[in-house]
Amino acid sequence: MKKILFFLIGLLLITGCTSKSTNQLNVLNWTSYIPDDVISDFEEEYNIKVNYGTYSSNEELLAKLSSSKKGTYDVVFPSDYMVSLMKEKKMLTKIDKKRFNNYENINPLFLKQEYDSKNNYSLPFLLATSVLAVNTEHIKENIEGYKDLLNKKYENDIVLIDDQRIIIGACLQVNGYDINDTNDKHLEEAKKFFLKMKPNVKAFDSDSPKTFLMTGEVNIGLLWNAEALLAQEYNPKIKIIYPKDGYALSMDNYCIVKGSKNVDNAYLFIDYLLRDDIAKRIVSEYPYIATNRNVSQMSNKKLKRILKNGSYIRNIGSNIKKYDKTWAKMK
Amino acid sequence: MNKKLDLFKNISLWPVVIYSFVLILLPLLYILFLSFCETDYVGGINYHFSIVNYLTIIDSTYLLIFAKSALIGIITTLICLVIAYPFAIFLMDKKEEVRNALIKLVMIPFLTNSLIRTYGWIVLLRKNGIINNGLTSLNIIKEPLSLMYNNIGIIIGMVYTLLPFMILPVYAAVNKLDPNLIKAAKDLGANKFHVFKDIIFKETISGAFNGSLMVFIPAIGYFFISDILGGGKQMIIGNLIKDQFLTARNWPFGSAISIFLIIVTFLLVRVYKKIGGNIDELGGM
Repeated sequence: MKKILFFLIGLLLITGCTSKSTNQLNVLNWTSYIPDDVISDFEEEYNIKVNYGTYSSNEELLAKLSSSKKGTYDVVFPSDYMVSLMKEKKMLTKIDKKRFNNYENINPLFLKQEYDSKNNYSLPFLLATSVLAVNTEHIKENIEGYKDLLNKKYENDIVLIDDQRIIIGACLQVNGYDINDTNDKHLEEAKKFFLKMKPNVKAFDSDSPKTFLMTGEVNIGLLWNAEALLAQEYNPKIKIIYPKDGYALSMDNYCIVKGSKNVDNAYLFIDYLLRDDIAKRIVSEYPYIATNRNVSQMSNKKLKRILKNGSYIRNIGSNIKKYDKTWAKMK
Repeated sequence: MNKKLDLFKNISLWPVVIYSFVLILLPLLYILFLSFCETDYVGGINYHFSIVNYLTIIDSTYLLIFAKSALIGIITTLICLVIAYPFAIFLMDKKEEVRNALIKLVMIPFLTNSLIRTYGWIVLLRKNGIINNGLTSLNIIKEPLSLMYNNIGIIIGMVYTLLPFMILPVYAAVNKLDPNLIKAAKDLGANKFHVFKDIIFKETISGAFNGSLMVFIPAIGYFFISDILGGGKQMIIGNLIKDQFLTARNWPFGSAISIFLIIVTFLLVRVYKKIGGNIDELGGM
């Protein structure tokens, strides 16, 4: 017994020592976004130990960064609006693009977005969009926008992601308003539209809405593109539609945290992720839209259209309370 | 010798005291403190005294959610009562080994995490699930029944998860009942219904109330059941609190609702005491 105890203490001491070594990198990323073996291959190739933490919302990332000591994290992956907020709060380091060997791999379409127009603090990593997925085996009608979801035939046949900004946003867009609108009247109209659609909604689910489509529980879903693509891989009859009223865009970015103690390693890591082969590996497991121009998921023309017709979710400050209340009324 | 024992008693109590203080009392005080703060524009906390959160609770939108939650809680409690009493009465005249074995069976589900058990229900209840497929292949029904992603699913999940909390106190109370009382009532000509109403239920009402408290209070808070089996369409108090902490990032308002819920719980416990319940029997409370 004692021997085991000593062994364990010894083990603790050893691991305690290695984590103090200088060649390390502290990464904070979304849950299920980069396959584990991509990280371990980086560790092996560059002999850098990666301490990998995860978060499941931008706000959680913000909370983790602001409550930790300076220099705790090096690389983070905030979405669009969180980049502008962190920029404002001076939490990010200016990025020197010349230090990347693979900078040219980024498709220029994804650069110079509204939240960081000169890409001084962020480089685009992956694009998520909300889409409609329709099982064409059972849904014969043509579905183009959110209004088509009101059809009485689809009773209890729709799954929605459990995200108030996306769903209220879609209900705003169907009435011709902006996805970030906070006008009370417009929100009221959005609520009315939703209540009309509600009998057709079977469930809200953010964990795995694709499962609903795959098991045939429902035939229509409003969900993230990656989830829809995975459902389509499983059942090719599932068609993916970019709603004509508009949809949400969410771009996640590489950022280096201000006060990072491993800046060189951070550059190496981002450069590694910018490599073609790595980008391919990431999107083959999590099929969001890659920003790498050599990973061909779709034509540039189509990408342009997707970016043009979608809208970024913006931070609406304390107006989020209005959304929360509308959400409570809708459910 | 006695002094030594006292000393030991004191020392052995300390871990529990420290545990309750650090992990129960301090967080609760923090929640109470937060409930009087405000949020800033990124969902941080603005340390500035305000009762706005408590005023927000008294809004028809939120009161409606409380009413809906209470309804779900009451229905769950009633169904649990209806199941628990026959079970407890059935056990009354059984041999001790049989009784112990059956009570153990009631407790066995506790060995598995309730979240996993709730996910298990999906396999049974969904459109192409075991129950629907079974019934359609036996030609009992033509169209699959909607057993989940609605209020039925929520109630099934709540009753299933919380039933043991009703069975145990009801069984304990019924078990204490003097069998002669029931015999006497029968001898005097009471029918089964009267025996139940006037003897068994009347004598065990504190057990029933005890169980009802332990079922009702979690039932208005178990958001994962309404999310998983109700399809997230029904907001109960638990969802409202969760949303304040995770999506709306309004911790002060979430804290205020939590404090409100604690006050309701205390009021219910007072009612329990008033009707003659023994506070020690509430155990887990």
